Amino acid sequence: MTVSVEWYLLLSAAVFCVGLFGILVRQNALMFLMSVELMLNAGNINLVAFALYWGNLTGQVFALFLIGIAAAEVAVGLGIILVLNRNFDDIDVTEATTMRW
Amino acid sequence: MMGTTALTTLAGTATVPQFISLATKDVFKLAPAIALFPLASFFISLFLGKRMPKGGALAGIAATIASLALSVWLVIELAIGGGTYQETLYTFVGGASDSAVVEHTGVELTFGLLIDPLAALMLVIVSLISLLVHLFSLGYMNDEGETGLPRYYAGLGLFTFSMLAFVYSDNLLMAFVFFELVGVCSYLLIGFWFREDAPPSAAKKAFLITRFGDYFFLIGVVAIFATFGTTAFAGENSFVTMAADGLNPDVAAEGIDTPGVSEDTWFTVLGLLVLGGVVGKSAQFPLHTWLPDAMEGPTPVSALIHAATMVAAGVYLVARMYGFFALLPTVLAVIALIGGFTALFAATMALVKQELKQVLAYSTISQYGYMMLALGGGGYVAGVFHLTTHAIFKALLFLGAGSVIIAMHHNENMWEMGGLKDRMPVTYATFLAGSLALAGIFPFAGFWSKDEVLFETLAHGLGGSPILLIAYGFGALAVVLTGLYTFRMVFLTFHGEPRTDTAEDPETVGWSVKLPLVVLGVLSVVGGVLNMGVLKDIIGESNLFLHEWLDGATMDTDLGALSASHYSEVLEADYGAGYEVTDLSPLGPGVVALVFAVVGVGAAWYLYSGADPEPKMTRLGRVRTVLLRNYYQDEYQAWLATGLTLPFSRIADKFDRGLIDGIVNGIGTVSMVVGRQFRQIQTGVVTNYAALLAFSLLLLLFAFGFVGGWF
Repeated sequence: MTVSVEWYLLLSAAVFCVGLFGILVRQNALMFLMSVELMLNAGNINLVAFALYWGNLTGQVFALFLIGIAAAEVAVGLGIILVLNRNFDDIDVTEATTMRW
Repeated sequence: MMGTTALTTLAGTATVPQFISLATKDVFKLAPAIALFPLASFFISLFLGKRMPKGGALAGIAATIASLALSVWLVIELAIGGGTYQETLYTFVGGASDSAVVEHTGVELTFGLLIDPLAALMLVIVSLISLLVHLFSLGYMNDEGETGLPRYYAGLGLFTFSMLAFVYSDNLLMAFVFFELVGVCSYLLIGFWFREDAPPSAAKKAFLITRFGDYFFLIGVVAIFATFGTTAFAGENSFVTMAADGLNPDVAAEGIDTPGVSEDTWFTVLGLLVLGGVVGKSAQFPLHTWLPDAMEGPTPVSALIHAATMVAAGVYLVARMYGFFALLPTVLAVIALIGGFTALFAATMALVKQELKQVLAYSTISQYGYMMLALGGGGYVAGVFHLTTHAIFKALLFLGAGSVIIAMHHNENMWEMGGLKDRMPVTYATFLAGSLALAGIFPFAGFWSKDEVLFETLAHGLGGSPILLIAYGFGALAVVLTGLYTFRMVFLTFHGEPRTDTAEDPETVGWSVKLPLVVLGVLSVVGGVLNMGVLKDIIGESNLFLHEWLDGATMDTDLGALSASHYSEVLEADYGAGYEVTDLSPLGPGVVALVFAVVGVGAAWYLYSGADPEPKMTRLGRVRTVLLRNYYQDEYQAWLATGLTLPFSRIADKFDRGLIDGIVNGIGTVSMVVGRQFRQIQTGVVTNYAALLAFSLLLLLFAFGFVGGWF
């Protein structure tokens, strides 16, 4: 039995919204990173689901790329978080506002 | 239009020719050097003057001797049959005649030289006076222990260069460039004693007022370029010839573009614009006020620049493009009226001055008025003649005054002199010769030229030009005053008993002072031989040497459009000024003018010849005050500047800073206020940005949804 593609999309949308919610309400930069990870994976789910739906592998290949990019992004993000911690003794994103006007 | 074939045009040879053989014709190839010698002396005096004996004077003397020799050679060459010579020396815009610039604009900007009898004559005058002034400066500057001599001689060198280059300019633009440059030299030399108060101020005044006139001249040059596409003085494609062809109905010429007015109206405007520069430079009413102040400069400078040569530049310019002015009756009438009025006006002021050089300054203004009167009245030869003789006798008078000033330890007040006749006989004799020439007493140089000026004006005036008759009246009246103020000056300075201790025992002057005086004195006595117009009926027309000279009669080739007879033709042509000449014997007007001059001299003798003359002009009362204050010319010009221009400028400033700047500043302020409000959304909190992004995306989705009709 196959699950119809709508369910996958629904799941993807739900995961994306969870990620978005996390970004909008959390203050901890690590949580940000995780939320972004969730949103990226929501995208991955979409890609794989559409690949299944259309019956070709392009989407799956893109999903692999996306995972790679996500890893890279985490590396950069963690670096930023380290610097954030060094400069502000904290990783609260609401503290780091000295660059604004 | 004939005769321009006589011009040896060597367009395109941009280098100064090397001279190897000095065959007669090659003297023309050397002509550029006439001006370049003084330029070299300028650099030598400026940079090496401190290390040279006499502070660089020797370089200047050597250069002016060389210039004089070459100029005289040119004159001889023209006198024994050479032709007019024109050469383009340097093209700074345009290059080859088929270049893109020329094709696009039709304009080529060049430096070139034009040697014709007029230019050759003027070259001799300028280099001669310059040489004598350099010599005189040895006595006036070096022996008096002045400092800054290299600067002084560099100034003289630069001036001589500019003036000579102006004289042999073959186009109006080049003439304008050097016209300005002589103004700069005048500024530098008037302000030579820049540590005192008066000279720098006088220098600024001279610069500003002549520049006011030159402003019109500049517009005139540009307008002539725009109208004719050339500013060449001579040749088939000169603006003079094109203008004449344009007005002459007998010549089928291409139409000339004029901005919406008829050709003669537009040419009149052009002529008046150029005249602005002439009036400023030649110190004609109402722009004459700088010249008396310019006497703050060293006296040799006054003699060279503010009497004999630079001030002559304006008059020379009119003579140079006389073929153009001769087409324009209105402009000629303006020239004649300005000239005649200035001659009288300045003479009245000279009557009451107490300083020797002030009298001479106003006399200079007055005499240049005569030259303008002559040119305006159709007397081309007369104007050039008076220019020549005046250069000689006025330089003489200024140098004589310089000699007196040395003797009087730089006291210029004539009332503190007296009795110098016996104590400085050479100065007295030469000064007297110059004064007799200035007053116009037979047979001194000034008599012949001034009579010719008046005669030509009268002859053309009686031919049906009442304006010229008015101008003649001014000029004739000024003759009386000229005799009076000249001999008032002579009597007060040299005659009677010494009125001060300095006059009792004046300082002696050296040979370098006396030699120039003697040379110029002799020339002042015999200079009239050039053109004894009064005796025309007796000696025959062919013995009027200057007339023959300016007519090109001594040359093998035809002088054509630059000849005096061509100018007379144009003056009398219907398309030209339309002057008519009354057939008048020159003897009658000559005798009248002589009688007038004698009356003036006699009045001076009556008033001031006693052993202890008293101030007689004080009897004039308030008139004297007005004359002493120069008719309040300075006051009204200062008022024009401070009372009229300044408030107007303030209003313009208010408009500029209030309205224009206000609009610009307002736009800036609005942007700043809006920006200051808008930047509040940049909180620096990443969450907010993310929220903005997310909600904007949602908004966008809804918007697309509405437009796309999803709901």
